[in-house]
Amino acid sequence: MKYESLKKCLYFLSVLWLLGLNACKHDDLHIDKANDNFRPGFDFVKNNYDLSLFASAIEKTGIGPELNGAGQFTILAPSNAAFNIIGINRPSDFDKMNPDTLKFLVQRHILNERIMLKDIPFNGIDVRYRTLAGTELYASIVSRDNSNTLYFNGSLASRKDVTLANGTLHVLDRVMKSTANTTVQGWLSARPEYSILVSGLKKFGFWDELATEGPYTILAPKNKEFEANGMTAEVIAGLNVNSYIGDRLFGCYVMRKKHFFVSDFVVFSIINNDSFYYHPVANDTYIMTITAGRFNYDNIYDQSIGYNIEVRTNKNFPYDIVTNVKGHDQKAIDNLTDNGLVQDLQGILILPEQAIKSN
Amino acid sequence: MLPLRIKNVTFYAAVALLWFATGCSKVEYKKIDDPAYLRVFNNLNYKIGVDNKDEMLPFLTMLIDPEMDQDGMPVGAQIKGDFLDKRDPYAPPYPSHIGSGTSVNNPEYPGRENVLVGPVLNGFDLSSWAQIPSGKHRIVFMFRPKNTVPFFNLDPKLKKSFLIDTTMVLDSKEVYTLHVLQKDFLTKRNGIYLRKENFHKLPLSDSSIYVNFYNMSAKGYWQADNDAKGGNEYGKGAMGNGVKDQMNIFVTLYKNRTVSSPKISGYNGKYLGNLTRNADVLEVSPYYSFPLFADASAGGIFTDMWQRFDFLAPGMDIRNIPYGPTVNQTDGNWASINCLTPYPDYRQWNEIVMPNMIVNIHSGKYNPRSFATVNTIEIVNGNVYLSTIQRKYAPPVY
Repeated sequence: MKYESLKKCLYFLSVLWLLGLNACKHDDLHIDKANDNFRPGFDFVKNNYDLSLFASAIEKTGIGPELNGAGQFTILAPSNAAFNIIGINRPSDFDKMNPDTLKFLVQRHILNERIMLKDIPFNGIDVRYRTLAGTELYASIVSRDNSNTLYFNGSLASRKDVTLANGTLHVLDRVMKSTANTTVQGWLSARPEYSILVSGLKKFGFWDELATEGPYTILAPKNKEFEANGMTAEVIAGLNVNSYIGDRLFGCYVMRKKHFFVSDFVVFSIINNDSFYYHPVANDTYIMTITAGRFNYDNIYDQSIGYNIEVRTNKNFPYDIVTNVKGHDQKAIDNLTDNGLVQDLQGILILPEQAIKSN
Repeated sequence: MLPLRIKNVTFYAAVALLWFATGCSKVEYKKIDDPAYLRVFNNLNYKIGVDNKDEMLPFLTMLIDPEMDQDGMPVGAQIKGDFLDKRDPYAPPYPSHIGSGTSVNNPEYPGRENVLVGPVLNGFDLSSWAQIPSGKHRIVFMFRPKNTVPFFNLDPKLKKSFLIDTTMVLDSKEVYTLHVLQKDFLTKRNGIYLRKENFHKLPLSDSSIYVNFYNMSAKGYWQADNDAKGGNEYGKGAMGNGVKDQMNIFVTLYKNRTVSSPKISGYNGKYLGNLTRNADVLEVSPYYSFPLFADASAGGIFTDMWQRFDFLAPGMDIRNIPYGPTVNQTDGNWASINCLTPYPDYRQWNEIVMPNMIVNIHSGKYNPRSFATVNTIEIVNGNVYLSTIQRKYAPPVY
């Protein structure tokens, strides 16, 4: 009898073991619970001292409640220092802006989808997204040695992937400059400080194409740069078109079929080690060597990037260096329009005497 | 007594049932009736730089018989070859990509993909060829971003860049290589090139090494500016700038891997044939051969002979090449490929260095033993690719 019960016991054990085995199978249990520790978009911006100017801009446009609402957002929040670059130092400065312009500015810094770092393809160049303003947003990312450098429309994201209850936030160190429904031609003609460049482009026949599809990248010296080199409006007006190589004298400011953010040169110097970009001047031996990178090494917190152009008489040795000009003005570079970009240039590339036809 | 027995039987039955319930898992073996054998290479080797930043990154997904939604976006496919990266310079005779590395990037299809592969056909190991149902297929190549997200899980807007959408007919039990190619260097037009291989049907001897050549470069590549095409890059050799559309091929065999290695007599700059640039016609180039034991003193078991191929424009004499051995800018008149080199710092020379065409491996009681192979050298836009196909050989005896 004792033996019999032992046998039974063994059966039971075996059955129990098998039952136990079967019972062990269960699906992973996840409970999605909203985390109370994270703030929604607008509240986060409002509570961050370094984003106070952007917060007041949002407040003025009245889209704050929308940003606190449900849905996924990506907020590209320019820091206060970024607004300072374009001359906005206190909330009242926004009052001087056209309310529609301000609303457009805020809306093109917000996306109604959540774009985190991991969502952007590695080493992706100009990955395009759409902002609330309906404009295209170009994201470029360099991934190397477990560090990622991310640019939106040429502006560095100095803080990335800040968690919001309803999305994510990246801090930009420059306000993205973009103008709706305009071409590089319209952009230049609306700004009198570039009038000498415009008159030169018109005179040598480069102006009309700037309203076409493009894309174009325009290197734009201001009037004061031309005047400093003796190329005043009167001098330009008096030039005889037939005695100058137009492609060199003014054509060098027009880069066709290119849309370059300054950050592109930085991105490719890391991805491909292409630190130099050679852009030939059309129908000429002259070549422009473009490099870009940080320029303010005195302040380690200043990650601003600018570009330099060296004009050479020929690509390969022997050549002469004609000029070396920089474009470091943070408030004037990376001006995005519908058919390209305008990059401010702090100097001029070619003097009239360097473009005289030899026969 | 009886109830106890019934009880026992019930126990047994219950236990047996439980064993079945836990033990049952059906293994389904895949089988493809009437397969064709397909190997796919992504020959797009251009670099995305500042000048061409709007071009698509040459990182692809191959979809065979895809399903499209109403917007024409692929949502599924019978066969998917994802993460198809630029091909490796060397395609070895066995799928060595499997298990070597954690990257999902695939240098060829099937490569790392876990699919049914080809058998040993007429002695040739086809384990680098995938089995594909024969017949007519719609084949689509898509550009995809370079990340580790499988194609169908990508964001919809990243699934809309078609490279090509076409059909191909694969015959049963035939061996194909499919190449994604740039067809025109100036317009950047891309296309595919399907080649019906014939090495398994030819009476090839196992005591000779066979090689054929293709120049599948894009139209206008060698004529283009050397800097514009990135041909002057260190390490790309004279080949980086491309070779002319018509070239003569010469072979030189070297006895051993020393700097002062003698050339084997009879194979010092021997003319093999002509190479015409062709990225369109689906023809197999003729196979040229030289003996595995061209070096008669090697003994018939092992040889450390290696090969060099020179490509010279018609009219040029291999005995009198007007360029130095480190000159990369030869105007497309001369380029060379070494299958092995004695020089450790070979990148300073203008030749491209590839692995030896001879497979030396432990087989039977010999370690190593030399085996002849069938090879294909493909020149595509300044890059050289060597594919080696091997015969089955006896396993090692220890």
